Amino acid sequence: MILEAKDLSYYYQDGEQRRYILKDTSISFEKGKFYTILGQSGSGKTTLLSLLSALDSPHGGAVMFKEEDIKKIGYERYRRNNVGIIFQSYNLIPTFTALENVLVPMSITENEIPEDTKNVAYNLLDYIGIVKSKADRPVNKLSGGEQQRVAIARALATNVELILADEPTGNLDEEMEQEIIDIFKRLAHEHEKCVIVVTHSNEIALQSDQAFHLRKGVLSSYE
Amino acid sequence: MNFLKRGFLSITRKKGKSLILLAVIFILGNLIAGAISIQQATGNVEKNIKERLGAAATVELDYEELDTLSDEEWESIEFEDIDIELIKKIGELSYVKYYDYSMATHLGSESMESYQGDNEDEDFVSMGPSMDFMLKGINYAPVIDFEEQKGKLIDGRVFTQEEIDNGTSVAIISKKLAEKNNLHVGDTFTLENAVYDYDDETGDEELITSRDVVLEIIGLFEPQSIKENEGDSSDHGMIDFMNIEYQNTVYVSNEIVASENKFNWEEYSKVDEEFAEMIEEEEGSFEYYTPMFVLNSPEDTDAFVEEVTPLLPEFYTVISAADQYDSISGSMESMSKLSKYVLIVAVIATVLITGLVVLLFLRDRKRELGIYLSLGERRGRVVGQVLIEVMVVAFIGITISLFSGNLLAGQISDTLMKADDKNSSFEDVIYYSEIQTDLTTEDVLDSYEVNLNSSYIIGFYVIGLLTILISTVIPLIYIVRLNPKKILM
Repeated sequence: MILEAKDLSYYYQDGEQRRYILKDTSISFEKGKFYTILGQSGSGKTTLLSLLSALDSPHGGAVMFKEEDIKKIGYERYRRNNVGIIFQSYNLIPTFTALENVLVPMSITENEIPEDTKNVAYNLLDYIGIVKSKADRPVNKLSGGEQQRVAIARALATNVELILADEPTGNLDEEMEQEIIDIFKRLAHEHEKCVIVVTHSNEIALQSDQAFHLRKGVLSSYE
Repeated sequence: MNFLKRGFLSITRKKGKSLILLAVIFILGNLIAGAISIQQATGNVEKNIKERLGAAATVELDYEELDTLSDEEWESIEFEDIDIELIKKIGELSYVKYYDYSMATHLGSESMESYQGDNEDEDFVSMGPSMDFMLKGINYAPVIDFEEQKGKLIDGRVFTQEEIDNGTSVAIISKKLAEKNNLHVGDTFTLENAVYDYDDETGDEELITSRDVVLEIIGLFEPQSIKENEGDSSDHGMIDFMNIEYQNTVYVSNEIVASENKFNWEEYSKVDEEFAEMIEEEEGSFEYYTPMFVLNSPEDTDAFVEEVTPLLPEFYTVISAADQYDSISGSMESMSKLSKYVLIVAVIATVLITGLVVLLFLRDRKRELGIYLSLGERRGRVVGQVLIEVMVVAFIGITISLFSGNLLAGQISDTLMKADDKNSSFEDVIYYSEIQTDLTTEDVLDSYEVNLNSSYIIGFYVIGLLTILISTVIPLIYIVRLNPKKILM
């Protein structure tokens, strides 16, 4: 087991009342598998992902990475060394080229990265489907699908075992969506990554190794 | 792609924003640079002028305080003299380099001509008996006026302590006085201590008695600080008077002056009973000394005044050379004040305006900063990156405004001072006091110079960069305190 959420709680304080988004939610993930968490808008799936990726901290419970509480690891350090995050809106740095966007996390992580980072980044982008000529363009000159590929390359740049994605195909057409899903499958099955994708698309859920359904903060297996 | 490189890339990739920030910092930098330039220049003038004025101080009656007294209060006042014990006590303070106390009297002479300026054709109308020579008694053998460069011994020697203590009949006179009377070191000359009786009704004076004061010349001096008359100025009449007065000064020991005063008063009391009674009441009133303390440094003046004031009898005050600066530095003071206010306003404006500009830029970059945080970048480095971006632009802006602000300050202060000088030149007053100065408002203005020196450059960079730092850090901290989810999702 690479990642486990134990009795996670998260709420918004509404005056004196607490509005729970997640309550005592538990779930675990293994390496080499492609997971999806399915749910409607407001079901708490993005909140769950933000807690699993340490972009936010839970009000109760814990997230364990390789059986160690990520709070103990340190949220910043966990994000730096153990997880790659992909957002629906890509969240790339618009003034940088695709290559520079991939180089950024390489300079932040403490993981071992080959010295020739530029070459590694070019190869990574090429593997994801961004050729060198496009890699040197500013990202805002690339299409949505290409930008999401750059975001995936960036998530992989630090050689992490855990890839978390929030609605990664939400802004893409069907053809592009399938290409991205294929990349995720490859990463899980060929490169032993644990890929967790939050989505509201049944199509994606059906292609994952295991899918969960989140409704009003309660998780269940998706059949 | 570390945070430093990211910072530099941001500057070059967002040229428009960098230029706007540069322009804002440049404009505000000019204000700060101008204000600091003027501050430093006025500060330097004060330091230079006070150094030129020296670090002398004396104790005098506080005429300003006496002016405020009513007639009844005047009648009930009993003035105490400054006695030698008190002068010695003050002279022992650690701030004092050396000190002297002096008694002076004026004497005439039948055999010697007084110096009346280089323009011999000018008519000097003398009222009453001639008392042109000031016999200036001293107790400090090397002569404090020579030590302080008021005068310079150019021939002969100064006194020995023995001559001072014994009241030996030796004197030091000015070179011009000696030349006028064909006197040299080693010669003797005779002054006349004449006692006159005045008729209150007619105003006529009648010689009661007189005695000769024969003195041997042991040295000749030349005035040093009093300038020659040049051009027209409201101050020059006073300077001529001071020059003539000093050229006719005869340095002797206090003993001689005391002895001549005693003779004069005793003889006069023989013909004036009221005066005789008064003299009898006030024992020792032949001796009234004016002290002169030379301090180690002009900067010791404030501490010296603070320590001495409680020791003084009522209605006495400490007058220092630095006080003279205040009477001639009107335009400088007002400019210093103005620049101080401009500096405060400029710094506040810079913090607010740069803060707002940076905040606007950061709002645009909030997502970018969130991305760095989501990638696990340390908050300190995210702050560091933005700080580097702003500080590099600020450094360039400040460096340009360092020179332009300095030039601007030179121009503005020049215009202001010329206008001020025009308005105030007729109000210049040099008070006649034991501590005299020949410095004028013109000297103050002449020594004002806006220039680039290391303290100005360092001061400007420190104030400028610190101001930008504060205005950047405040909005920056607000953003990086947010968790990445709040920024990105």
